[in-house]
Amino acid sequence: MVILAAFALWPLFVLVQMSLSEVGPAEIVGNWSFVGLRNFVDVLGDFETWKAILRTIGLCAILVISNLVLGFIAATVLSTTGRTASAVLGILVFVWALPPLVSGSVWRFLLDDTGTLNAILGLLGISPVNWLSDPALALWSVSAVVAWASLPFSILIMRGGLLAVNPELIEAAAIDGAGFWTTRWRIILPLMRPTLWILAVITVLYAFRSFDFFYVMTQGGPGTSTNTLPVLSYYTAFTNFDMSTGATIAVVSMVVVLAFAVPYVRTIKNEETS
Amino acid sequence: MITPRPLKRVFTVLAATLGLAYLLPLVWVILTAFKTNNAVLKNPNSIFFRPTLETFRAVINDGFGAILTSLQITISVTALVLAIGVPAAYALSRHAHPLWNRVATIGLALLLILQMVPQPMTVIPLFSVLANWHVIGTLPGLILADLALLLPYAIIVLRPFVLAIPNVLYEAARIDGASSVQTFFRLTIPMLANGIFTVGAIIFITAWGEFVYAINFLPEGTVLPVSGLLAQQNSQYSANWNTLMALAVLTALPLLIVFLFAQRRLVNGLSLGAVK
Repeated sequence: MVILAAFALWPLFVLVQMSLSEVGPAEIVGNWSFVGLRNFVDVLGDFETWKAILRTIGLCAILVISNLVLGFIAATVLSTTGRTASAVLGILVFVWALPPLVSGSVWRFLLDDTGTLNAILGLLGISPVNWLSDPALALWSVSAVVAWASLPFSILIMRGGLLAVNPELIEAAAIDGAGFWTTRWRIILPLMRPTLWILAVITVLYAFRSFDFFYVMTQGGPGTSTNTLPVLSYYTAFTNFDMSTGATIAVVSMVVVLAFAVPYVRTIKNEETS
Repeated sequence: MITPRPLKRVFTVLAATLGLAYLLPLVWVILTAFKTNNAVLKNPNSIFFRPTLETFRAVINDGFGAILTSLQITISVTALVLAIGVPAAYALSRHAHPLWNRVATIGLALLLILQMVPQPMTVIPLFSVLANWHVIGTLPGLILADLALLLPYAIIVLRPFVLAIPNVLYEAARIDGASSVQTFFRLTIPMLANGIFTVGAIIFITAWGEFVYAINFLPEGTVLPVSGLLAQQNSQYSANWNTLMALAVLTALPLLIVFLFAQRRLVNGLSLGAVK
């Protein structure tokens, strides 16, 4: 446990320390001068930070909608038994375990200006779209890829929740004359509320972790159009070599992550003790 | 679950569509990796072509060192994660003393939160920590960083496996006069074989695909792991698609192998770690 604390907690402490100091590439090893909250004032006063926050919220919104709505529909579809369903589940698990580095590379190839997707559009007589090189579009293209990559997890969790619903309840509803969709909407969905909540929290946390996709597909560009909070923090620290500003942005996003993580962890702990 | 018959047909079609949305991109990538450079340059989207191993041969020739680096990192990380994670998971699930139980609960909550810290946010402070310990730019430094990243996850996934061992067995071991060390090695570890395999496989797959630490903590000019090469190829403006895709296949190779041979175990392990 001591080792664990040293390995995992110490860096977080250093991160906070960095955000309160003035650290450039020259001072990585050595003494840092304490500057109080000046970095936070700078970061929160910077327009770029707020744009990055908005982009992160946009990404979260797309992921939550896709994971909950598409996830529920797909889980319903896949909760029927059959060869097709089990084959599709196999593929989903594979994509779920695929390193984001790989799926990001794959989609960078498919979404390239001369890539496969545009070739298919060309066959349909539609002119090519600059998925990743158009600043107005790039954020949404990457978000769609992140949604593609995170949907399998959501489907598998929801399917587990669906299969755990007591079949007698569904039969009772059928006897009362409720149709297939009425049953879904009025009986199954309310029963799954805890699952949906946890899934929404996990999805938001996932959005904050989905740095790999941005690194691989756009590197925050074109311009700064795909700088979400983690991306902005990374490039501030390692491309502009402004370690303390990067650390400050990271602390700001850590606060958001913790705000979501703590209630989530509490729910799980309650579940375990009950 | 009862599904009306016409709806069932619609569902099969929908399920197949969903499957294709995930399968086709992957198939396309594998096909591209079997094209020659010229074929891709002429038309990156040709469907008909003569498959060659040329790209793979070139990638493996140039990247032989990278594969060795990857193996070194991944094997060390997996071994260390298991060596520390198994005893830790064991300690966190045995209820010995009320005080220890409280410590274990706090420890678990910390682990869960740590597991959620986004990786790019640990890169910045780790850079300075590793520099202070004089292991920045070395393989041991990178292995240490990977260990800190993956250990919380491993312990969380291993714990339910430890909890599943019936208490009666421990009592029997005690009556037979086995020491606690003996019990751990003779009883806990063999009973955990399934869990150890699952977690080991997941850690191996993840460590093999890790690149953020690799490209930042290894100095320029060293041999990067395969994942690092793939990330580097991606950061170049114009990409060599067939090379890129062959590297992507190599980066996904451990997953592919585990998936083919132990799909069910992998699924169980992944879902345990994800929900808990």
